[in-house]
Amino acid sequence: MRDRLDISMRANHVFFAVLMGIGLICVALAVAMNDTFYLRLGTEALILGGLALSVDILLGFGGLLSLGQALYFGIGAYVSALVLREVPSFWLAMAAATGVTLLAGIIGGLIANRVRGVYFALITFGMAQVVAKVVYNTRELGASDGLIGVPVLEIPLGVITVSAGDPLAFFLLTLSVLTILYAAVAYLFTTPFGRVVIALKANEKRVPFLGYNTWGPRMVCYVVAALVAGITGALYPMLRGFVSPELMFFASSGNAVIMVVLGGVGTLIGALYGAVLLTFLKSVVGSYTEHHLIAIGVIFIFAILFMPKGIIGVAKPSLERRLIRFDEQTDAARIKATGERA
Amino acid sequence: MKPILHTENLSIAFGGLKAVDAISMSATPHEITTVIGPNGAGKTTLFNLISGALKPGSGKVYLDGKDVTRFGPAQLQHAGLARSFQITNLFFEMTVRENLRLASQILEPISHAVRPLRRTGRAARKVDELIERFDFHDKVHEQVGYLSHGEQRRLEIAMCLACEPKLLMLDEPTQGMSHADTDETEELIKSLTQNVSILLIEHDIGIVMSVSDHVIVMHQGQKIADGTPAEVRANPAVQAAYFGHG
Repeated sequence: MRDRLDISMRANHVFFAVLMGIGLICVALAVAMNDTFYLRLGTEALILGGLALSVDILLGFGGLLSLGQALYFGIGAYVSALVLREVPSFWLAMAAATGVTLLAGIIGGLIANRVRGVYFALITFGMAQVVAKVVYNTRELGASDGLIGVPVLEIPLGVITVSAGDPLAFFLLTLSVLTILYAAVAYLFTTPFGRVVIALKANEKRVPFLGYNTWGPRMVCYVVAALVAGITGALYPMLRGFVSPELMFFASSGNAVIMVVLGGVGTLIGALYGAVLLTFLKSVVGSYTEHHLIAIGVIFIFAILFMPKGIIGVAKPSLERRLIRFDEQTDAARIKATGERA
Repeated sequence: MKPILHTENLSIAFGGLKAVDAISMSATPHEITTVIGPNGAGKTTLFNLISGALKPGSGKVYLDGKDVTRFGPAQLQHAGLARSFQITNLFFEMTVRENLRLASQILEPISHAVRPLRRTGRAARKVDELIERFDFHDKVHEQVGYLSHGEQRRLEIAMCLACEPKLLMLDEPTQGMSHADTDETEELIKSLTQNVSILLIEHDIGIVMSVSDHVIVMHQGQKIADGTPAEVRANPAVQAAYFGHG
């Protein structure tokens, strides 16, 4: 039998596989029905899911509520748009967005990591508002109009070249990026470093007495979260052809928090479930009434009251029990096969 | 013998209250040194000063001859000091094994920090050793929050030993324990001195007299006596502090 934390992460992987399966079936249906709207909506959901994933890294593992995570998403998106308008290179845009968010994440982390709890939430909120307003008032960055005219990209991926204008190809590309990010983050939290971060959330005061620095791991956690937001943000202008200052506004950060809470805090994959759910709800409800935010708000309230651990939280405990039983059975079978004693 | 720990005129005041007032004391290697005193005497505050949880107003702390007065808890841990807490202070949502693993992985170099958790290697061996020694076989995958109080207190000691410290500081390890658990813990503490020096805070006078090699008595922030258990028991100032005569 393995550690609970390992079982928990394996359960997340199962949910990831389920989401992948559902996603690919839906994609097949969309292709069969010649749909492009839902494919592009799905791509947007995944991109916003990256922002939500970034929030969950901080909230679910670092124990830090960020109300300004859209800052890094927006920085990634703007850097990507700026690069693409000059040089239409996917790899250059991704590299530039990664580099600039890394830098921004370090600066933001140095500021925000001085405080905890509600002060952390307020500082992250404040930093995002300040940068958003600066962008909003900077003519060179398109001011309130944002940056338009991002060209449709041809993306060379080794043997094949895909077009960002092809909804299916770009959906699959986005899915691949998200899969890599999810896998990298999930791996990070199963290492000794990840264990220290999880311990910090559980009992910060005890950790230094075990010999661990508390500032360092938290800082790394913050920067990794910023990177995830920035990298997915860089995909945004490739999909939509523009960026606007709204990307950095509180509504974006707040939506990401809602997605994580809906999906399940501290599960990584919950962020993606929440993002898909919220994006599609908004679109569907929005097609009936322009007051769709009222409906979303009511759903959110009920979700918190009746499933405080989110969608994943409802199904996860029984899945974990199954995984434990499965482990015990395979262990027993192995012992029987080899004749060794327990 | 050269002391493993000694303090010189260690003091701290909270407002006007001198919680720890010019304490000079020492602990001998591989012995059990016990700090006793009535409630509010400043024992835990003294522990906090030594272990880096609080910075002293004045005075010095030396660990193995090295000045560690300004060290934080993590630095002190690397210098060879581990401490437990009066109020159980563990990672309650993690299992016994995960707690021990967390404490043990400090033994491995920082370059292992982002490698996969290994089933072998120094940390894993230490975890197995502690599970064996503290008899946690049946509870390995139990969440610590569901353990009995006695088991939690025992795990607290195991966590401290994970980093192979030179000096182990235990703040009332038997607090709230049943009689049977207390006797077991007493035996455990005695057996530890082969590998580690111990500085203990203890309320149970029976335990103090039976395990201690050396006793330091505190009263209202000051040290009022210092000696073998028998010497301390015979000291009139100690009797006055404990029983309120004079």
